[in-house]
Amino acid sequence: MSGELAIEVSDLTMSFGQLTAYQSLDLRVSKGRFVVLIGPSGCGKSTLLRNIADLLQSTGGTIRVFGDRPQEVRRQRRISFVFQEATLLPWRTALENVEMPLQVGGWAAQKRSHRDPRDLLELVGLKGREDAQPWQLSGGQRQRVAIARALVTKPDILLMDEPFGALDEITRDGLNDELLRIWRETGTTIVFVTHGLSEAAFLGQTVVVMGAHPGRIVETIELDEHKPGNGIDRSSPAFFDITSRLRGVMETAHGGHA
Amino acid sequence: MRPSLSWAWPVIGLLSLVVLWQAVIVGFQVRPFIAPDPLTVVHALWDNRQLLWHNIQPTAMEAIAGFFVGNGIGFLLATIFVHSRRLRAIYFPVVVLFNTIPIIALSPVLILVFGLSMSSKIAIAAIICMFPTLVNTLRGLEAVSHSEMELMKIMSASPAEVFFRLRLPRSLPFVFTALKIAATSSVIGAIVSEWVGAESGIGMLIIQSTFDYRTPLLYASIMMSSALALAMFGAVVLAEKYFVKWRTA
Repeated sequence: MSGELAIEVSDLTMSFGQLTAYQSLDLRVSKGRFVVLIGPSGCGKSTLLRNIADLLQSTGGTIRVFGDRPQEVRRQRRISFVFQEATLLPWRTALENVEMPLQVGGWAAQKRSHRDPRDLLELVGLKGREDAQPWQLSGGQRQRVAIARALVTKPDILLMDEPFGALDEITRDGLNDELLRIWRETGTTIVFVTHGLSEAAFLGQTVVVMGAHPGRIVETIELDEHKPGNGIDRSSPAFFDITSRLRGVMETAHGGHA
Repeated sequence: MRPSLSWAWPVIGLLSLVVLWQAVIVGFQVRPFIAPDPLTVVHALWDNRQLLWHNIQPTAMEAIAGFFVGNGIGFLLATIFVHSRRLRAIYFPVVVLFNTIPIIALSPVLILVFGLSMSSKIAIAAIICMFPTLVNTLRGLEAVSHSEMELMKIMSASPAEVFFRLRLPRSLPFVFTALKIAATSSVIGAIVSEWVGAESGIGMLIIQSTFDYRTPLLYASIMMSSALALAMFGAVVLAEKYFVKWRTA
């Protein structure tokens, strides 16, 4: 890893009353990387993402996003989030949903350039569906709109919390292909949470394996050597090797919990 | 069933009841001052058209004004309660308690306060509308998902933006459910208030015609009040079609 640090998490603690999600967590993400957090439920991967996004306040330690506190970064609208549910507003068309971030949260006062919502819908493969109502779109299409909406503000960082978790495998593979293409085109730093092994193996330049009880980082795996340019054929032996290795680390992390 | 004829079925249902009504009157030889037959009521509607028209107007004014005042207050309270847990904890139980008072018991109190004027009637119609609207609007304003709230937060949306761009549109189907209830109950409120004391109005006409054994006029008055409620209900349905075009699935 090299280059400017996008995210720096040091000695992070998060507890909900008596319950400790994780303690003394450290994580560094360089600018422009595609980092995948993978782990069993309860390992705190979604919570960590929310700490970075300032959707949840951590209870100890520090987070810096491009050197700034998460709250400042969020207020400056430099961070975007894609949820597990597409979370489109049903009274807005696809295009109007993509335009939403430009209409709230003092975007105009930021005086930054944004991406054209129509271009973004084209980028996510929904050209011609601008005026579609959310209920007219499939689950995969709705998530594409959500991705377009997340990109409209040209975020420095895109956080994705199991965005394709509710989709069938074929649709998910297709969206993973497109996500890599979009990531290459935009150069955005992405932190992607999943509990799918093959999704993690396919998407990540860096895969951070987390364990539960208590939440912790078990191993950080760099895949640059195995996947030059972060591209790989899902049917290749190399992909099988990566998946097997991830599976090994995950099973060790699970310990007796499986 | 052909969809183009779907309106015909309720008409058939209504006509069958009118036929049954006529059959009962003729079959049991019911005397007209106990219950008139349908045709007599139609005659009464026509013969008393000026009287009925003259008296439906104050009732309609009371019901419509009460509808707007009551729903306005209900909506306002819901908006306040959704933004302040403290105020909600303090005053929501009070509103629930207040709502347990039967409206007919409250009417004399309001007439003592406002007098026999129209404002006492408007107040009663408003009170009867307020509670269902408050409860439904509150539910609607809170019918936002966790991720929708997180979406608004990640965009650093202000409380006003959360309200106008998320909570308010989300609440509209709930609000319109309440408005449909209010459309008919505001007419009930207006008529009940006229029973307690009024110089004009359909409610006054109902009481007068009962005491005078002018039963056909009583039936005609009842039909007028039903028509008023139906018109208000229809207006709400039209408004809902205009404002709520979206659906969730």
